[in-house]
Amino acid sequence: MSGSDGCEWEFPVEWSKARDFARAVHDGAWDDRNPVPSPTFPAYITSDFVERLVVDDLNLDLKRTLHGEQEYEYLRPLRIGARLRCRARIVEDYVKEGRRGGKMRFVVCETEMCDAETGEVILRERSTSIETAPGEGKVA
Amino acid sequence: MNAVREGDGGPAFSVGPLTRTDFVRYAGASGDFNPIHHDEPFAKSAGLPSVMAHGMLSAGILASFVTQWFGAGCVRRYKVRFRERVWPGDVLSAEGRVVHVRGDGDQRRAELELVLKRQDGVAVVSGIAEVTLQ
Repeated sequence: MSGSDGCEWEFPVEWSKARDFARAVHDGAWDDRNPVPSPTFPAYITSDFVERLVVDDLNLDLKRTLHGEQEYEYLRPLRIGARLRCRARIVEDYVKEGRRGGKMRFVVCETEMCDAETGEVILRERSTSIETAPGEGKVA
Repeated sequence: MNAVREGDGGPAFSVGPLTRTDFVRYAGASGDFNPIHHDEPFAKSAGLPSVMAHGMLSAGILASFVTQWFGAGCVRRYKVRFRERVWPGDVLSAEGRVVHVRGDGDQRRAELELVLKRQDGVAVVSGIAEVTLQ
């Protein structure tokens, strides 16, 4: 990962990686002759950032952290060979009382991915993680 | 795709039974190496009966239902909520419905409601999508 503060990095969209991803999510629309990344492929592009954020920066306990929601908004098609400039930031971080008592922490991270050459926004990813209260890890 | 109308349902689509190998393949493909998805002793120490699938594996499978229905590159918006955990051995089936069609020509779009269910009928992921119709 490169970039000035770790929340900003460049990323090349590669054919073979997009193909591996399509296979892993059973994306039958993948075509070697006309390859298009699967809709959720950007999860791979943010994986290093998310891991460092969750484990090192926010210090969330992986044994009781759940994925709440995920959203993609495409303003332009994502193409193989594109070089992306990505900027990630925490847009929400708050604590709420759980249904069975105990505090649940919600963290929402938004990443904007632009064409590194033109600066045009290609897509935005928004991801919500939930750290459940200790002893309440069985919430789905 | 001009024939798409509100109320339409999608093609039959199911994946599974899922294996631990499916989870490991997704871990490698996505870069998500949270051990709760591949390390059985770690998962058990967290109080789980076994490793569980990445939520984003299920989200990716539900998105594959959309690309099978409307074609690669069709998705403009995709939003999902994770409802239940997915375990080795689960078979996942996707269902969808066109709730709204708008625009003309290149700007024609459909809004979809989506759900991914386990073999016991429980919804594991629900969501919405907006796709181009061309």
